Amino acid sequence: MLALTGIEKSFPGVKALSNVDFEVRAGEVHALVGENGAGKSTLTKIIGGAYTPDGGTITYDGTARRWNDPAAAKAAGIHIIYQEFVLFPHLSVAENIFKGYEKKTAFGLIDHRATRRAAQEVIARLGVRIDVDERAGVLSVADQQMVEIAKALIHDVKLLILDEPTAVLSEPEVELLFDLVRTLRAEGVGVIYISHRLDEIFELCDRVTVLKDGQHVATRPIGETDHDELVSLMVGREIENYFPPNAEAVDMAVPPVLHLRNISVPDRVRNVTLSVQPGEILGLAGLIGAGRTELAHAAFGVLDHDGGEVFVHGQKVDPVSPGAMIKAGVGYVTEDRKGQGLFMNLDVARNVTGASLGEFVSGWMISGRQEIKAAKTEIDNFAIRCRGPLGDVDKLSGGNQQKIIFGRWTRACHAALVLDEPTRGVDVGAKAEIYKIMRNLANEGIGILMISSELQEVVGMSDRVAVMREGRLSGLLEGPDITEENIMHLAAQTDREAA
Amino acid sequence: MSGATQTGAPAFGGEFFARYGIFLFLALLIAGGGLISPSFVSSGNINNMLVQLAPLGIVVIGQAFVIISRGLDLSVASVMATAAVMTSLYTSDNSSAPLIVASALAMALGTGLVNGLLVTKRNVSPFLATLATAIMLQGIRFWMTSGAPSGNIPPLFKQIGAGNLGGVPISLVIFLVIAVVFWVVLHRSAYGRALYIVGGNPIAGRLVGLSSDRVIIIAYVISSTLAATAGLILAGFAGVVDNFVGRGFELDSIVAAVIGGVALSGGRGGIAGAVVGAAILIAIFNLVLLIGAPVQFQIIIKGAVIVLAAAFYIKKSKS
Repeated sequence: MLALTGIEKSFPGVKALSNVDFEVRAGEVHALVGENGAGKSTLTKIIGGAYTPDGGTITYDGTARRWNDPAAAKAAGIHIIYQEFVLFPHLSVAENIFKGYEKKTAFGLIDHRATRRAAQEVIARLGVRIDVDERAGVLSVADQQMVEIAKALIHDVKLLILDEPTAVLSEPEVELLFDLVRTLRAEGVGVIYISHRLDEIFELCDRVTVLKDGQHVATRPIGETDHDELVSLMVGREIENYFPPNAEAVDMAVPPVLHLRNISVPDRVRNVTLSVQPGEILGLAGLIGAGRTELAHAAFGVLDHDGGEVFVHGQKVDPVSPGAMIKAGVGYVTEDRKGQGLFMNLDVARNVTGASLGEFVSGWMISGRQEIKAAKTEIDNFAIRCRGPLGDVDKLSGGNQQKIIFGRWTRACHAALVLDEPTRGVDVGAKAEIYKIMRNLANEGIGILMISSELQEVVGMSDRVAVMREGRLSGLLEGPDITEENIMHLAAQTDREAA
Repeated sequence: MSGATQTGAPAFGGEFFARYGIFLFLALLIAGGGLISPSFVSSGNINNMLVQLAPLGIVVIGQAFVIISRGLDLSVASVMATAAVMTSLYTSDNSSAPLIVASALAMALGTGLVNGLLVTKRNVSPFLATLATAIMLQGIRFWMTSGAPSGNIPPLFKQIGAGNLGGVPISLVIFLVIAVVFWVVLHRSAYGRALYIVGGNPIAGRLVGLSSDRVIIIAYVISSTLAATAGLILAGFAGVVDNFVGRGFELDSIVAAVIGGVALSGGRGGIAGAVVGAAILIAIFNLVLLIGAPVQFQIIIKGAVIVLAAAFYIKKSKS
């Protein structure tokens, strides 16, 4: 239904796409994979009419097309669900779904009742329970995504593009999304599915196309390729030891580097007790909303907690605050790198030194020279690809930004690190590097508490796994018991099953 | 310059222009002004402009601190006027000078604290909080002076405000000392770094252990204190005080900071830019008068410069 041949696109100084061929058939789920910067978003933006290609042809529904604006692509049945949602937080779900396409009364005014009813129908079609009168801003991220999809479904969708749709979803929500995609496929809709999570691609997609450095590398039916081949096609080399070997043995006899005792947060976390031993990576798994991030926030003093105590190296931290935790040697790497981690207004060096400023202050002056020296060390340590210590951070790739954050916290903290979704939005090659960094830190004796929603990552990286469900610790897995099945069972079991 | 080390090194022409364009603009303005009206660049007129720059420059430095913290200080003009009327509140000889300075600084400290506490602890928008304290100070001022200030200013203040030291205006010297000190505070001290971090990303600041409330409150106190200093200087320059010394300085200082590249969204800009912004405003006012245009033109041109500056920085941040 859609065929692109010889697509070229350049931006000032960058060749984003060169001679790319790509094709989607009706009733097919076609995966588009590649590292960040490989050209996936440029390609989808060309398909969606946001960019005009410099060269090449687009054939859609048998005729040559040349989009010049997204509205034309939309009118032709092409819809894109972007990673970042574009909902109006203060409008209701129904109003969001029909924004710009409101049902009208005979007088040309908005027919709220008809709009509501139609919204309920499309939500029902998605198989989710969302109150269409709710304000979009208060919905969970997963529900917001469903509303985004609903916005497309009110039109006659012929081609649906999903850009990293599962990055913010938990496992059951992912299943729900997959069911929906399968239904659309059965109805003859073509789907382009962009994801970093390869296991999903094998579960859902019919074909996969790999882009690398703006060029088409391969298109394969899903049955004729495997995980390892895709990874090596994406990075252009074999990644050996994607997950580095685990710690040989976690010494449970020594006192834990980080011990959380009976931490509670109203409505979110109930009485969680956890210990992180030196040198281990303790995975913290659970569904979205299980209270993992809230637990970390409470333990770091960002969120007021109802009760509970935090110990570092056996010493009680009281009161718990970010400053006190950092002083005790514990750092927190946030899941929201851009929103809560980086200082976008400052350069690489000041981002690296941000948590250990004291080190560079004599009297009350900061030594800029020392900061730059420290930044150079971290740039070398973590192989951060940037313009140098004085370069900006906002245009770096997710992997390099994350490595800057790692540089910041490893400078400041020598006891334990709490990592919240450490590889979110990071491409495959950088993921492998970050895994290696994490393991090296653990081998140096740092205890790591790793919150992750990617089961593969939890299983591959953790020496032990704690699982949370509805604010409680539902289990602790060790050694051979660490399997995706066991984790999911602990994360998703209902109270009835448990009884 | 300062901005460069704080916000990253320039990479190519556009960025370089965004960062240093303001200095270029001031140079072109002075050169162009000199061509239009040779008396613009006469030593007497330059001296005149520098004397005018001193109070605005002092205020804009404080304003820059507040704007970098993501705030806005509309109370600076009222603080200036209140400090100014204090000069004629006690005896008219120099013996009351320490008392005057102490009261002005105490008033400034109080105002800055109230502004900062309202903004941080009570989440009042900086616009409303500082507008409210400005109005309250105005009332207090009217009450202190029973409507119209009377009495004389101690000669010491007149000497500081209007006097020279080896041909250099004393007020200019004070301004330059303040500029250097606060340049160091903003661009070289741990407090300055904390201000950039908190202004740029308060949550990230909290996560690295900074107390954003304290950082922001200090910025408001700095702003009020510098405004009071400028008020004392301006009172001395005029030799007489009225209840509205420094009128218009709240907006002029914001405009100067914005022209100089201090972003209202917080976390960006520096002292050098803000001071150059103030110099550009003063030079434009002066030039309008020199070429004999009606004084109303000052206001029209001021508006036009704001629009130009806003468009310039928005375009740069998009590219």
